Amino acid sequence: MASVSVSHMILFIASLIVAASVAGTMTNGVDQLSGAIQDQSLNMADTVRSNVEIISDPAEPVYDRNGQGNVELLVKNTGSDAPPPDASSVDVLLDGRYEANVDVTLVDGAGGRWRSGDVVRLTIPADNLASGDHRVKVVVDGDSEVFRFRT
Amino acid sequence: MGFSVSGSTAIIFVGAALAFTTIYPAAANGFEQVSDARQASADDLLAQQNTDIAVALTTYNATTDTLTVVVTNTGETSLAVSDTDLLVDNAYTTGSRSVAGDASTDLWLPGENLTVSVSSVTARPDRVRVVSEHGVTDGRAV
Repeated sequence: MASVSVSHMILFIASLIVAASVAGTMTNGVDQLSGAIQDQSLNMADTVRSNVEIISDPAEPVYDRNGQGNVELLVKNTGSDAPPPDASSVDVLLDGRYEANVDVTLVDGAGGRWRSGDVVRLTIPADNLASGDHRVKVVVDGDSEVFRFRT
Repeated sequence: MGFSVSGSTAIIFVGAALAFTTIYPAAANGFEQVSDARQASADDLLAQQNTDIAVALTTYNATTDTLTVVVTNTGETSLAVSDTDLLVDNAYTTGSRSVAGDASTDLWLPGENLTVSVSSVTARPDRVRVVSEHGVTDGRAV
């Protein structure tokens, strides 16, 4: 009789251990999932809030204004988020080519943020840009704008 | 045997309840953040649609080197003077600003004229471009 209760006890403990490990794995997985949902919703909210406009005048020259072979564009934040005014928040494609050395300067507004209504100047190095039609695409937090100009 | 089944069911049930209390706030907060952002974006779009400006007058005085630009708020939103930008030949320019003669206000209400005077403009510029706070733009040759 004693052997029956011992084996019952062993089965009972084993079932508790199995149940605890199943519950632990489940809560761990759900923890990770909820962290991912939080991150994703923050990114999503930033993407929805971001809105920029290129305000440079296409009727006036934007290329080589200082004789240094740069394309200069003014970009205004018309959305409701405030990204940092540096190259990490702006991606620039000039004639389809990714430009890595873009200089971003806040020209209007104070502090280290590019707030709603503030303007930044993008200086895109483009030595010896051939004369003709050109196209710049600016992407900020998922919002993209296209600017066409002639040199 | 019956005891071990109910014991493990209870443990799994407690685990499921814990998991639910973690995921529910995360999902609810995330949903709220995204819907807030959508609402803000829709508000911005509505304001942009209701905004319109028109450059009424540009004068260049060669003797005083002064450029004066008069812009009318022809839309239905009140705009911020500090968030309005003036480009003279594509150069970002601040100038001194006044709305209907009042230089201290930051509000540019519908129907009012914003006057921007830029001094030390040595050569006659070709074009000016005025950009309102919502990105609505108007330009004019000087």
